[in-house]
Amino acid sequence: MDHEAAPWSAVMIWRIILAAFLLFMLGPILLVVLFSFGSNALIGFPMGDLTLGWYERLAADTGFHSAFWTSLIVALATAILATLTGTLAAMGLMKVTPAAARGILSALSLPVLLPPLVVAIAIVVLIVRGLGLRLGLPVVVLGHILVAQPFVILIVMARLQRFDQSAVDAARDLGATRLEAFRLVTLPQIASALVGAALVSAAISLDDFIIASFTIGGGNTISTFVWGKMRTTLDPSINAIATILLVLTVGLSALALRVTRYKG
Amino acid sequence: MKHHFNLFLVPALAVLMGVFAIPVVLLFAVSFWSVKNFKLQPDFTFAAWQRFIGVYGDLTLYTLMIGLATGLLCTVLGFVFAYAARFKAGRFGDLLLVATLITLFGGYLVKIYAWKSILGADGLMNQALMALGVTDQPLAFLIYSRGAVIVALVHFLLPFAILPIYASLRNVSETTIEAARDLGASGAQVLTRVIIPQSLSGLFSAFAFSFLLAAGDYVTPMLLGGTSGSMLGQFVLLEFSTNFNWPAGSALSFGLLFACLILMALIAGLSAWIMRPPRGAPS
Repeated sequence: MDHEAAPWSAVMIWRIILAAFLLFMLGPILLVVLFSFGSNALIGFPMGDLTLGWYERLAADTGFHSAFWTSLIVALATAILATLTGTLAAMGLMKVTPAAARGILSALSLPVLLPPLVVAIAIVVLIVRGLGLRLGLPVVVLGHILVAQPFVILIVMARLQRFDQSAVDAARDLGATRLEAFRLVTLPQIASALVGAALVSAAISLDDFIIASFTIGGGNTISTFVWGKMRTTLDPSINAIATILLVLTVGLSALALRVTRYKG
Repeated sequence: MKHHFNLFLVPALAVLMGVFAIPVVLLFAVSFWSVKNFKLQPDFTFAAWQRFIGVYGDLTLYTLMIGLATGLLCTVLGFVFAYAARFKAGRFGDLLLVATLITLFGGYLVKIYAWKSILGADGLMNQALMALGVTDQPLAFLIYSRGAVIVALVHFLLPFAILPIYASLRNVSETTIEAARDLGASGAQVLTRVIIPQSLSGLFSAFAFSFLLAAGDYVTPMLLGGTSGSMLGQFVLLEFSTNFNWPAGSALSFGLLFACLILMALIAGLSAWIMRPPRGAPS
């Protein structure tokens, strides 16, 4: 809307507003990262000497090690399985009537709209009371697939909608089986969207605390490990764990953005 | 050939049924069950619902108020930010979206922890206020209050509000805006007659999302709310874990959910009434 040069003061006002927004949104997160390198125990100035001490302490903490690997395993399993169920569902939704697709998509997105607390408790009630089974990592993964698959469907469907179906028809006319047509024509074209969807699923899994804390039974993910420390005292090593978690989730989603935007 | 169903949908729907639909229906049924000697028994009693209304009625209203305040703040702030990113930021627009995504994935617990350190008695905010001479001793009300809960919830949910609003603003074409301008519409008229009506769906999903997630949260009030900023979610947890009263926990969950849905229906009706086309104008 710059067709008539905006007055200088209006430009300044918008810049100040946006700067205030960015300070509010990013400031608290940047503080945590900053203070993970400070020797003082609490967030506050002066922050003390620059140090990697909190990271060294974590590296020696076996509790953190097991939480870290548990989180990675759960995130990897979620990424693979949610991408599988979500991609199949996206392909299925392309083949049904628009009205049916809208209804099914809303139903699949419902778990994201309800408070995670209610979803988590419902899962626990079914597993423990309804089925008499034990909680554990498979239950955590199932919960994460439930929350991640709507995002996979949205990402993959956006790609499929721009995809030229006639190429698949041509392959089929030339004698390719359904599976061959999928593997040789469809898959290469949607591969970047699948990678992006898998990365977003992993980020969702790593970031979740509520579902994991209810359904894990025993042991820790990184999030539940942080929670244990937050409840007792303001343990300064939280800053370092939070930074590691931040690098993982932001790194994964930035990567997902690159993969889907620039190659797709 | 388009059908109503396709076999590719089966795995995702199986997850939805097994991990969501069946558990939620079972949880609802549990709200009519009873507990005897710490054992949960199938029953048909309204005791848990009576407990919800009798004991937790006020708290439900407070929780809805916190959710409403958070939802409205997120929607208004989200609109301002998305509007700036879409129309005012020029080449920085993409950068603003990246900042939004970083905040989105910044870690739920990490954000609450950050606010605890900022607002706490020897936190950054009090340090700054004391250095500036605004106060000579730490202000205790910054943390453990309803305000602290709302600030942290708005911070956590703002990206969820920005993204749908930005998506709907992307569909508002510059041509329409310029046409309105050329026909003599003022800046305010362009905003209320062209831009807002066209982004209504985005505004509503932003509100719905931030309101529902705020009203259902329990971790933020637990760490930042103290006694005055308590929310119902904490008591859902309390009934389930400490009291081992699963029926009450279930009735509280669904009571909150129904209350949220009623409030959202009222707001949707109200906004449809406000945004109705002026009388005599062609729709």
